[in-house]
Amino acid sequence: MVRVIRHKPMNWVERLYIFEAFRGLFTTLKHFLRGFFRYETLPTVPYPDMKPEIRRTYRAKHRLMLRPDGTPRCVACFMCATACPAHCIYIEPAQSEDGRIEKRALRFDIDHLTCVFCGLCVEACPVDAIRMDTCETSYVHRNRDDFVAYLYDLTTWNPKSYPQNDLQSQAAPGGSRNKQALEAWGMKVQ
Amino acid sequence: MMEIISSKHWIEWLLIIAKFAFAFVPVLFILLMIPMERRGAGFIQDREGPNRSYIKIPYFGKIRLFGWVQNFCDGIKLFFKEIYAPAGVNKVLFALAPAIPFMVVLISPCVIPWFAPMAFTFGDQVIRVSGATVDTEVGVLLLFGLASLSAYGAVLAGWASKSKFSLLGSLRTTAMTISYEVCLGISIMGVILLAGSFNLDSIISWQESHVWGIVAQPVAFFCFLIASIAETGRAPFDVAEGDPELVAGFHTEYGAMHFGMFYMGEYGHIAVNGLLISCLFLGGYSIPFVSETTLHANLGIALAAACGVAVLAALVFLHMIYRYSRWLRTSALSTKNEVLREYSLYKILAWASIPVLAVLGIVCALYIHPEFSIVNGTPVFGLGVALGTALIEVIVLLIKTVFFCCIWIWVRWTLPRFRYDHVMHLGWKVILNIALINLVVTALIAKLAGGN
Repeated sequence: MVRVIRHKPMNWVERLYIFEAFRGLFTTLKHFLRGFFRYETLPTVPYPDMKPEIRRTYRAKHRLMLRPDGTPRCVACFMCATACPAHCIYIEPAQSEDGRIEKRALRFDIDHLTCVFCGLCVEACPVDAIRMDTCETSYVHRNRDDFVAYLYDLTTWNPKSYPQNDLQSQAAPGGSRNKQALEAWGMKVQ
Repeated sequence: MMEIISSKHWIEWLLIIAKFAFAFVPVLFILLMIPMERRGAGFIQDREGPNRSYIKIPYFGKIRLFGWVQNFCDGIKLFFKEIYAPAGVNKVLFALAPAIPFMVVLISPCVIPWFAPMAFTFGDQVIRVSGATVDTEVGVLLLFGLASLSAYGAVLAGWASKSKFSLLGSLRTTAMTISYEVCLGISIMGVILLAGSFNLDSIISWQESHVWGIVAQPVAFFCFLIASIAETGRAPFDVAEGDPELVAGFHTEYGAMHFGMFYMGEYGHIAVNGLLISCLFLGGYSIPFVSETTLHANLGIALAAACGVAVLAALVFLHMIYRYSRWLRTSALSTKNEVLREYSLYKILAWASIPVLAVLGIVCALYIHPEFSIVNGTPVFGLGVALGTALIEVIVLLIKTVFFCCIWIWVRWTLPRFRYDHVMHLGWKVILNIALINLVVTALIAKLAGGN
């Protein structure tokens, strides 16, 4: 559908410029007074001192979900690595110690310099092992190698920094539902 | 030589020499205007503006003075940068050019009357001291003459720096300065016609006895305001240094303190123009509805009122600080404790200043009873009264000037810049004609009403 926007020709008051200039001055005066007397209502955020609010649905840095006993939930099925358009995920599989599960990830590396944060890995994962809801948006490191997140980096997250209604996160060790989950999974309560 | 010295009383000489200090008022205005402009621009564009530079002091931590410290950081940075001239420039003119606008800023306020002409008894003599550093009959003309010298800075800079951008910028500056000088001159002719003098003192005393220039000559006021904004070469009339097409105009090749001089010269020029416009159209040092004799006779009350205004300002400041820190305590700002510690200093200073000012005001109101002697049928007061009145009048003049400086900033950050031919069109075909018609009408009315 084509939308045609017709510009109204200026009337003679507008063409005189001076009255429109005064309207413009009034607008900027309003903005100035807002900044001067209501400094805290400025829409800008003083960035490093105050972080902008980032929603959980924002595609930020990845994390790997954990089973109630603390092992990564990843079954090394390579779905995410296959779906990844940037080829930034490297997985090395190994035999799982749990008899019910076939494989586990020995290595799980995500290169954040290559990652395009498309979220396809999250969509592809059949066991909801990888998520992008950490709300971490800024990575600063001294060299390129430090931008690669290894299995350890991806699994060390604190369930306390995730909302209570995020049941999967709270099932991890340290979470509020960990005990229940361990029982449900038939694992030993430590 | 001795005759000249002995022709005036020593106190008169002292005051005349002391008046030279007023040459530095525009320079102080530069210090005021740069942070005002940068934070003001920030607020107008819905951002915070520069507020991160600080001075660290023992207990209170980082003192940022609401972005004021940025000034000193910029100054230090410009001062210690290498002064660099590209190959092939005319070395002498290249170094000389930035000094000219700044020199003009120091010289041109010499004709501004800072206070009403003083007359006071000292010993058994009556001493008269004028308010301007240079008391001359051609006041406004002298000021215009000096102020247009600052175009030489731009012209020489453009010529000497051997760059096409600079040369084009300086050509435009020349053309624009000349065309707007004409508008400037014609638009104040109405006021001068009514006052019957070029002397700024006489113009102000006419405004005191009749009405302010802005009421008598509103059209001339607008023409003058627009023309003087154009003459200072700032947006929306910044064709001389228009960054979209000329890099930076006449100061493209300049860096370090050379650039700083141009920058300060520009702000100083605004301050001088603000002083001039408040003298011509806003009654200069005069307070509305308060004549000078009333001020003399009730000096104690006037000083008390000034203290009262200062107390009120301090209370408003405190209110804003408290309101903001109440919000700050609940905010997610990670540095909020630091900021609150900084604000505690401002709170202490403001709370301390309130009783001091209040006591000062009460003492002034109770204990200052000016005594006068009648000389030639008019009452003449002592030196103290004259100085007190001068103080109040200088403050009034400076407040009016700050108001105009705000208008400069406000206009700059509101209006989009004009194209070069639009500037010339506005200057020659619109403002000049309006000013001329205004002059003719004023002259007719003044003649018919039987004025001077």
